[in-house]
Amino acid sequence: MSIFGNFCKHYSSQQMFVVLALAGTIGGCATASVEDQKIVANKADPYERINRKVFNFNDQLDNYVAEPIAKGYKAITPDFVQTGVFNFYNNLKNINVVFNDVLQAKFTQGAEDTSRFVVNSTLGLLGVVDVAKKIGLEQNDEDFEQTLAVWGVPRGPYMVLPLLGPVTARGIPGAVFDTAANPSSYVGAPVQLMSVLNTRANAEGSLKFIDEAALDPYVFTRESFLQWRNGLATDGKSSETADFEDDLGEESSSKTLADFNRKGFAGETQKFTDVSKSFTSVEQSFENTAKSFQNAADKLDKLKK
Amino acid sequence: MAVKNVKKMLMLAGFSLLVSVNGFAEEQATTAKQVVENFQGQLLAVMKSGKQTDFAGRYSKLFDAVSKSHDLTKIARIVVGKEWEKLTEAQQQKLVEVFSKFSVASYAHNFKDYDGEAFVFDSEEETTKGGVVIHSHLTIPDEKDVKFDYMLKDNGGNWRIINIIANGVSDLALKRTEYTSVLQRDGFDALISKINEKIDNYSKL
Repeated sequence: MSIFGNFCKHYSSQQMFVVLALAGTIGGCATASVEDQKIVANKADPYERINRKVFNFNDQLDNYVAEPIAKGYKAITPDFVQTGVFNFYNNLKNINVVFNDVLQAKFTQGAEDTSRFVVNSTLGLLGVVDVAKKIGLEQNDEDFEQTLAVWGVPRGPYMVLPLLGPVTARGIPGAVFDTAANPSSYVGAPVQLMSVLNTRANAEGSLKFIDEAALDPYVFTRESFLQWRNGLATDGKSSETADFEDDLGEESSSKTLADFNRKGFAGETQKFTDVSKSFTSVEQSFENTAKSFQNAADKLDKLKK
Repeated sequence: MAVKNVKKMLMLAGFSLLVSVNGFAEEQATTAKQVVENFQGQLLAVMKSGKQTDFAGRYSKLFDAVSKSHDLTKIARIVVGKEWEKLTEAQQQKLVEVFSKFSVASYAHNFKDYDGEAFVFDSEEETTKGGVVIHSHLTIPDEKDVKFDYMLKDNGGNWRIINIIANGVSDLALKRTEYTSVLQRDGFDALISKINEKIDNYSKL
């Protein structure tokens, strides 16, 4: 069982997105002849037939283009430079994280993420060194797709886009917003290329992991992507505790996926209720915000000493 | 004098009764939490000795640890969903056997290094269907913590793990979709040979 645990052990959720986004890029031979096979319908994935083709295309592209380049980059670039480059881009993303904190009424977290950005941009030499982590300000993961989820927008079908990898319908406006809110989008192609290259190089181990563990890399990628995004959107509160006992044939066995999907809807409603709750407790949040600013200031004082 | 003796005897009897009750309780009460913590401890031990032990060595150590803490039969049954009923008894046995090997092999392959990781217990929760979820997390120096939620079910008086949810991703749900998909598309023999191929890979890597 939980080999996936080990996967997570090595890769933060930031990296995980990258991995899954790139995961359209792995396990070539296993899926090569898939087009001829009968495709089993999955409610979350109505376009599976096309998606699989794109997945295979991305996979080939990775094998012949991205992987060799990334390996070359890895070979000539020292680890600390790779980490620095990762930190630099990651820090820029925090502007967007703060935006989305506010849009989701997470004011305390917004304050922490603001401090994180400020600390890393100054003491952390424009973000190259992740100083914030050392003083206990963890990287949070928020984006516009999660904001839309919190607002109650349904997920929509799963899709695999050429070059970009897995996404859900809700993720497309999300990605447009996030790109617009990221400064590195405005600097020009070489900067973005550097980001992509570094990302691909960092993801090497995780891609290898999926290749080793997955019986069907396409399905593995889709499931982990959907679950992982759902976990992020609900901040882990929707932790899957279904025990699938109903599937054991002791009861009606036809209510497997349907049950699952219905549960998803219930989850969305729950989220909506949570949001309204969180809006009503805005005042509380502001108080917490003030406190967390105070804490951050204290931490900085300690750091100076 | 006689009264004193009786009193003594009663006390002794009471005492021995107490001892035996305690002993009985200890034998019975391997709680869900203990099952998880024992398993995590064994996993960490294997990680710590990862450098000196080869794959086969780690495999044999973990085989015991995994089969004593996981309900592998039930897990194998769940991951193929309603397809289970369509399998012959021999196929069901084969699936459980191969699946168990695969589970242990993936542990043996993936948990071979130790960098100061530690498991920390967070809380325990009872589910509506009589299961228990143990919430814990793995701390890794210089990395973000990884949440590990273990779902356990009572199997004839013994708590056994049936699912592990790592950072919100359910291993059981993931495998279930994957396995049923392979089964429906390619059939039982293809599923078994794919799993065997993976086990083989793990042992070589």
